[in-house]
Amino acid sequence: MSVTAIAVLLPFLAAIGLGFAGSPLQGALLNLVVCSLVFVLTVLVFLAPGAGFLHGLLQADPLGMIFGALSGFVALTTAISNIDFVRGEIEHMSARRWRVYHAMCQVMLGASLLGLYADNIGLLWAAVEVATVAATLGVSLPRSASALEAAWKYFILGGVGIALALFGTMVLYLAAQPAVGPGLSAMSFSVLATHATQLDGRLLTLAFVFLLFGYGTKAALVPLHGWLPDAYAEGPAPLTTMLSGLLLNVALIAVLRFAHLMQANFSAGGGAVRPGPFLLSLGLASLLLTAFSLWGRRDARRFFGFSSIEHTGIAAFAFGIGGAAAIFAGLLHMLLHTLIKSALFQALTRAAASRGRASPGNFAFSHLRGMLATSKPLAWMLGACVFALTGLPPSGLFSSEFLIVSQTIQRQPLLSLPLGIGLVVCAIAIIRLIGPLIFNPPPPAAVPVKAGAGICTVGVHLLLVLVLAFAMPLGLVRMLSSIAGALQ
Amino acid sequence: MMGLQIFTNSLAHFLAGVLLLCAFALLSQRRLAAMITLVQAEALVLSAAAFWQGLVQGSDGLFLTGIITLCIKGFLLPIALRRITRQFNLIRAVETVMPVGLSMIIGVGLIGIAVMVVLPGSAGTVTLTHEDLAIALSVVLLGLLVMTTRRNALSQVIGFLSTENGLVLAAIGMPGMPFVVELSVALLVLLALLVVGVFVFQLREHFETLDLSGIEAIERRGR
Repeated sequence: MSVTAIAVLLPFLAAIGLGFAGSPLQGALLNLVVCSLVFVLTVLVFLAPGAGFLHGLLQADPLGMIFGALSGFVALTTAISNIDFVRGEIEHMSARRWRVYHAMCQVMLGASLLGLYADNIGLLWAAVEVATVAATLGVSLPRSASALEAAWKYFILGGVGIALALFGTMVLYLAAQPAVGPGLSAMSFSVLATHATQLDGRLLTLAFVFLLFGYGTKAALVPLHGWLPDAYAEGPAPLTTMLSGLLLNVALIAVLRFAHLMQANFSAGGGAVRPGPFLLSLGLASLLLTAFSLWGRRDARRFFGFSSIEHTGIAAFAFGIGGAAAIFAGLLHMLLHTLIKSALFQALTRAAASRGRASPGNFAFSHLRGMLATSKPLAWMLGACVFALTGLPPSGLFSSEFLIVSQTIQRQPLLSLPLGIGLVVCAIAIIRLIGPLIFNPPPPAAVPVKAGAGICTVGVHLLLVLVLAFAMPLGLVRMLSSIAGALQ
Repeated sequence: MMGLQIFTNSLAHFLAGVLLLCAFALLSQRRLAAMITLVQAEALVLSAAAFWQGLVQGSDGLFLTGIITLCIKGFLLPIALRRITRQFNLIRAVETVMPVGLSMIIGVGLIGIAVMVVLPGSAGTVTLTHEDLAIALSVVLLGLLVMTTRRNALSQVIGFLSTENGLVLAAIGMPGMPFVVELSVALLVLLALLVVGVFVFQLREHFETLDLSGIEAIERRGR
């Protein structure tokens, strides 16, 4: 059995154990142990890739490896801050629900890794389906009316997305028939990519439309984004981090891989339509809608949920521009955004906990204002995260956004104006929060709290962002460029 | 041999056509009980189609799909859905967003789109698959239309059930497609969870209203 397979299977096995036994704190500790093991395994995958498991169904390519390691890392830091979350919230859910909660965290991790490492379009679909079910169960756990409603919305929209994605998967299989013939190989990403020029172009286009809308629902691209702000705002806080850190990437990378098949077929005159315009319009729509939606939000998690829509939109836009440099920038943007957003949600959860409880109703901006009076380290970390999200220098996102804008000017000059306006409006909408959130007088009931050592995870995330953006290790640059070159 | 081939195709088409008819009839129904009967009929036809394709393609997986479809979607799910409607008295609860006539016209349009999108691409590949795919796509789109035109959660689930039948129909028509059983089981899990979700929702609404009225009554009496 390969490292890849163990990394995928371990969370699922752990989920079974976590689901049936243990007190909430034991569950949180076991969750942490498993997440650290999985993180080590996702790093080991780099050393021992290849070695296909189950007839090559599970075969990590460099793109899957990088985002797999990222998922492992985010899951690990989330599991660390999850311990404090469980301590604070322990009385508010029954032991049975805590077990379900921890099991679902693991299932989401396992499904994300499965989706990233799978070399089979059917397996990818199954992974996303499992992740959807797990996320729905997770979001519904607070059992409040609004949480149930958010879970239902997620489930219905997610279900439709999954149905569309499955139809697209089957049509893609059919499109591969003339080139590859029936059987398992017609569903393998690597085989499809090598035969991309011989696929049936018309069917490929049809498949791509379904796959784009199917996986686009999971990536929360406008107009399929309706579930995201609700699910973010109503679910248990660490689960929100997992949703934003892991699942969005899986879906977006799936879209990128399918777009590559289309592009390769189009370039070779195979009859497919160019995928760029689809991605550009969905990406730009996401960015512009967010630019309006970010104003006048009262709930912090809903607000930053919209900001996630913005950033997946920017990444999709980058993939739509085409060319190795733009795809490189899009992938870098996804990496940085994932790190920043999960750090931000960890800091927000701590901030809400310092003001009483980190429960869904307690994330209003009015409730969280003036963090400096509550805890200095926490306030600075939170401020740094929010600032990092704006994409202004010296935030890490500046480097990827700069690359994307310059590529847009070079390749799609007409679109650079709406892109620029969207980016600036979003940045202003986010930066105006920093003042009230950090420096304003706190609400009367707030008392100073000592920030625990767990706050370090946020710092590590931000440090990693700076390293990745401004001093990326040469090996990683080479890896990302070769991925981008292969996917252009 | 040629005659057998034609018979194979026409029986597969006939079954798919009946399925499409049921999916279309779903649009015109206002009563939940009738909608449940229609998706039950869909499931029965679908399992027959799966058995037939299993026989033609000589695949055990398709037989298994047929059996699973027959047992769960043909009998278990409809029984559960009928229970829910009876228990929560939902017999007349279907609200439509638009007039039934209009949604049927849109439905015809969707079928037209499905045929136009799928059929012209048939150059070179097996045409049978394409015709099946066009019908399956129509069923999928009609199911989605049912989901968008009904307000009630249970009828949305029924719409999803119909969508799913279309997906399985597409899957069994693909020549030698791997994982058909696994994919249909994965879809079933999703569906079962949806039904449980509706149940929890209804239960919650029921008890919440009961609870609230109780408290109000106590409050009025001045405790």
